[in-house]
Amino acid sequence: MTDQQVADRPDASRLVATDVSPAAQSTRLADRLAGKRILLTGVTGFVGEALLHRILTQLPTTDVVVLVRPKGSARGNDRIASLLGKPIFREVVEAAGGAEALIGSRITVLEGDLSAVPDLPDDLDSVVHCAGDVSFDPPVDEAFAVNVVGTQHLLDRLAPLGPNVHYVHVSTAYVAGRRRGSIPEGSLDHDVDLDAELGWGLAQRQILENRSRTAEHLTRLRAEAEREHGRAGLLSAASSTEQRRRAWVDDQLVKTGTERARSLGWTDAYTFTKALGERVVERFAAAAGAPVTIVRPSIIESALATPHPGWIEGFKMAEPLILAFGRGELPEFPASADSTVDIVPVDHVVAAIVAVLGERPEPGHPRWFHVSSGGRNPLTFSRLYQVVREYFSRHPFEVGDRGAARLPEWRLPGAQQVERLLATSERAHKVADYLVTHSPRADRTRELARKLEQQRRRLEFLRRYIDLYREYAQAELSFNDANTLALYRRLDPADQAAFGFDTAVIDWEYYFAEIHCPAVTEPIRRMDRLRRARRGSSTPALRRVEADSGDSSTIAAVFDMDGTLLSSNVIETYLWMRLQGLSTAERAAEIGRVAARLPGFIHAERRERSAFLRSVYRQYDGARLADLDELADRVLASHVLARLSPAAVRRIREHRAAGHVTVLLTGAIRPLTRPLRTLFDHIEAAELAVDDRGVCTGFLASPPLVGESRSAWLRQWATENGVDLGRSFGYADSHSDLPLLQTVGNPVAVRPDITLYRRAKKSHWPIVDWSSSTAATRTLAPAGDPR
Amino acid sequence: MSRPGFVLEVDDRTPPVIVHEGEGFRLEQFPLGTRVIYPPEALPAVPDVGAAIMQALLHPEDSEPLPALLRPGMRLTIAFDDISLPLPPMRKPDIRQRIIEAVLTMAAEAGVDDVELISANALHRRLTAAELKSIVGERVFRSFYPQGLLYNHDAEDPAALTHVGLTDQGEDVEINRRAAESDLLVYVNINLVAMDGGHKSVPVGLASYKSLRHHHNSKTMVRSHSFMDHTKSHLHHSAWRMGRLLADHLKIFTIETTLNNNVFPSPYEFLLKREWEWSVKDQASMLAVRRGLAVAPDRLRHKVFHDLRAPYGLTGVHAGETEAVHEKTIANVHRQQLVEVQGQSDVLVMGVPYLGPYNVDSTMNPILATCMGLGYFFNSYRGQPLVRRGGAVILYHPVKPEFNQLHHPSYVDFYEEVLAESTDPAVIEAKYEQQYATDPWYIHLYRTSHAYHGVHPFYMWYWAAHAMDHVQDVVWVGGDRQAVRRLGFRAASTLADALEMVSGTVGGSPSITYMHNPPHLIADVR
Repeated sequence: MTDQQVADRPDASRLVATDVSPAAQSTRLADRLAGKRILLTGVTGFVGEALLHRILTQLPTTDVVVLVRPKGSARGNDRIASLLGKPIFREVVEAAGGAEALIGSRITVLEGDLSAVPDLPDDLDSVVHCAGDVSFDPPVDEAFAVNVVGTQHLLDRLAPLGPNVHYVHVSTAYVAGRRRGSIPEGSLDHDVDLDAELGWGLAQRQILENRSRTAEHLTRLRAEAEREHGRAGLLSAASSTEQRRRAWVDDQLVKTGTERARSLGWTDAYTFTKALGERVVERFAAAAGAPVTIVRPSIIESALATPHPGWIEGFKMAEPLILAFGRGELPEFPASADSTVDIVPVDHVVAAIVAVLGERPEPGHPRWFHVSSGGRNPLTFSRLYQVVREYFSRHPFEVGDRGAARLPEWRLPGAQQVERLLATSERAHKVADYLVTHSPRADRTRELARKLEQQRRRLEFLRRYIDLYREYAQAELSFNDANTLALYRRLDPADQAAFGFDTAVIDWEYYFAEIHCPAVTEPIRRMDRLRRARRGSSTPALRRVEADSGDSSTIAAVFDMDGTLLSSNVIETYLWMRLQGLSTAERAAEIGRVAARLPGFIHAERRERSAFLRSVYRQYDGARLADLDELADRVLASHVLARLSPAAVRRIREHRAAGHVTVLLTGAIRPLTRPLRTLFDHIEAAELAVDDRGVCTGFLASPPLVGESRSAWLRQWATENGVDLGRSFGYADSHSDLPLLQTVGNPVAVRPDITLYRRAKKSHWPIVDWSSSTAATRTLAPAGDPR
Repeated sequence: MSRPGFVLEVDDRTPPVIVHEGEGFRLEQFPLGTRVIYPPEALPAVPDVGAAIMQALLHPEDSEPLPALLRPGMRLTIAFDDISLPLPPMRKPDIRQRIIEAVLTMAAEAGVDDVELISANALHRRLTAAELKSIVGERVFRSFYPQGLLYNHDAEDPAALTHVGLTDQGEDVEINRRAAESDLLVYVNINLVAMDGGHKSVPVGLASYKSLRHHHNSKTMVRSHSFMDHTKSHLHHSAWRMGRLLADHLKIFTIETTLNNNVFPSPYEFLLKREWEWSVKDQASMLAVRRGLAVAPDRLRHKVFHDLRAPYGLTGVHAGETEAVHEKTIANVHRQQLVEVQGQSDVLVMGVPYLGPYNVDSTMNPILATCMGLGYFFNSYRGQPLVRRGGAVILYHPVKPEFNQLHHPSYVDFYEEVLAESTDPAVIEAKYEQQYATDPWYIHLYRTSHAYHGVHPFYMWYWAAHAMDHVQDVVWVGGDRQAVRRLGFRAASTLADALEMVSGTVGGSPSITYMHNPPHLIADVR
């Protein structure tokens, strides 16, 4: 750049050449940054990784120091080594002779994190801080901890190095919050009391944790939990109460943050704390007299050209919406058709940062750069919609085997109407959900529940994203990027090609149709292809039991009986036993008596399974136990065997063949399990109490094994018999068996009721449909052969 | 006098004809020129059954009269055909009851008091008490069952079996110990089809798996042409060798009976008549039954069919030495069932009805349907098959993948595990038969519950081996597509579609033969 050119620029007087060495006289960035040492934070993130890649590949003599947080057992070095293992680094790693060599030479790993920043090397030339919370709805305390406190900690370490280190702060253009119109590249005008807000934000977790533990709050949560999980037992309800409490705290932390942000003119805690973070940086610049630059990118999306067109890591802001739209799951969006979606490709952001590094601002006078597209190359929402729609109509998703997904037509009717639509759907879902949860178990109910569950996920998704993005989709601001454009124009023409960041050159149609959409849809298409190849559903298929190398006798397979192995229930089997030997009239009377008691039974069953079993077993009062056994062998065996699910029997036999211990765990009384005794190594059933004449008293000898007492029994039994529950299998059909299923390492839901079905879906447990043949029940009438 | 069977050639005056398909039937308009084989009409029944039985027992073939074989202190065992015969079950009283009562009366008169009655169910399911009662009658049941003297043969109880010896071809002959060690074994049979009876009664009905495997295997069965002609059946040759060996060790008094073709009671008699001869009443019944079945729920339809009891008439009863008796019996069967047919055709059409030997009071599952169509009906010939080698078979049956878990537990697994892998009888036999035959769970169910033996589904598949080997194409009209595919065949919705599908094998205008049964018929193909 000539002196004349420099003089032409109004702010050029603030520019100080990075160095006075001959190399620095060169106008090429690579020369200006030659031999420099730059500290990067957030290299494991999207922008950080791209920046590291740029420096390594295009600034051949610039070294980097990376600040990395150890994660789990992975040390900082390991994390960087695995980062360098990614395809985009292949060439530079190969040229250096391996990741280790590269870490030894051009990369220095500094282990630490923003809550405890280690001492920084004193020969640093620049620091680029791109670590930060990128989610739009973080809990408020985390948002403050990362975006404000983290920045403060880094700057505290930077201060001792003196005014020679150029600090580049990566912020976001949306720190402008709910402002409208043109946003200048300069300090944000507000008078928020930084320290007061910081103190408030960090204290929120403790405050909400305390509030969540108040008696009235807990009473309400426990009542809800017991209504839903009471059948499984009080401990299950208790753990659900605690889950609900935690979820409530997390939810409130987000809500509190958003509300506070909006009350001060920001969209959410993310932009709010980012803005306060900038304030921390400005303070630092003034106090330490350090050279500081703040880079404010807008929405960062996949790369236009470098490392390769379409390069993107993880899902950013627009992807979930694009994908949901392509799947036909986003019926409408609360955006204004004419509002601008301000998107920048990641390589533009990174190039701008490199260009910023090449110019050192005057100490104590921060400079701001908007890396954005809305000012000079605006993309309106309606155009974005058309481009994406056009892409998907040419390259549709093949959802399942039903062909191309149907694309919704957006009319963009405005936020209020979308909100009304969504609220109505949510209410309807709630009603349907209540009905399904309270209707009897059947294939159709389960199918309905599956659809409702899908619906619920979609609604939750919509709610979350619509709430999140409403602000952005309606934003009527445009970011002025004059500084950035000037910075670009000051680049050497060769660098303008190598480090381009003039967003006016982007052809949005081309970018979305040929680069961005193909890149973000590829993983989904790959998954769809895989799923089609497997022809499977989203629930894992039950794998065949194979005898493995370990000691298979320490593996147990635990089966529930009613509903899991047989399509029968306690009342039905009771009637079978009872109706034997009665005349037709007596049978009718008995059936009538049981039918009259049915509502009571059902109520007991809903409330608590053990109460239900007790009330049914009262009916055995006066029966002789020996008679029951004999009756079970003579008549019940056929009843049970005919209702036995063939797939269940095959499964039990597979386990036996593999050398596993098979266990039948049931709340039914022992005589009823007699026909199955050859299939199981151990049968744990309810014992009827008998008096000294062997006559049943109608009571049980011990509480029936249901709900949590099953898991307790199983643990005890496993300890006594040296069984490894972690490798064991559990099969059950009902919500009340949840504790049992949670006790074993391989739970399987068999024709589950709705609550268990949802749980199994959520935990990715296999769900199997072991039905017994309808033909079997067709030919057998209770209580005897017709001939 | 009843009319003999005949072959109708479909012309433009032929009305649609009945085709059975599971628990229902349809009226099918066959292409012009199709041959429809009708069985002979029911032969007149023996007027006095009691007298005929006495005549047979007192004047047996190649044997002393029964009373001469009975003496005090002897061990007498009466074995009888199980519930798989006759089909449909016989209206009370069962002919076996009449005969057993007569034999028991003579035994009582002779002072025989060590008598046991055994249902010769081989590897079939155990009969329930009610089923035993329906065969032997109330009186016999009451006198023997509670004391444990009337029971099912148990082919898996080592203590209840005796290895009698090896035939000259090295075949094990192992049968029921009580029967083998009796001074006299009386066998009461119902010779419904030509396949039954003779030496197939004792050496098969009272045998163990060890003995049965010598003739119930894919190799023997693919070479039996056909099962309905014991002189041409490798299966029967083996049984005959065993029977002759047994006859050397044991006194067997065989009583064989034959029934006429009266298989459908009122109001279903129209099913026995030729369609163009239906009276107004027949037409009305047919319409009523069709309408009724169309709207009946599955359960009711099942009950309607399985409650049918056939008003059979006895056409003959013979007693004495097994082979001599069987010769007369077969002659009677042929008199009732044989129809002369000139030459083979390209396509054979058969309707599989609701009932086979192994689903009495139960479900005709896909494997049993295959056995019924390709095993029994296909083999119902003498001379050569009705369809030419490399021709096509078209069957009618819903082939619903439904199984009776009480009766057919090993069938379900056979369907899910074995057929899913291969449908080739020889492959299946080599890879899986041993495993299923010796599976302790199946054996447990066979012995204590009412389950067919673990190996039984294999035998069903072997029965069809000859047909699968002989024809190129098998298509099921109205069959469940998935189930039919599992069986290794194809399904069509109409006859026209089925013919279209087999046109690749037999051309666009093949010669077609439709076997109009039940009632049973044997095609004597010249």
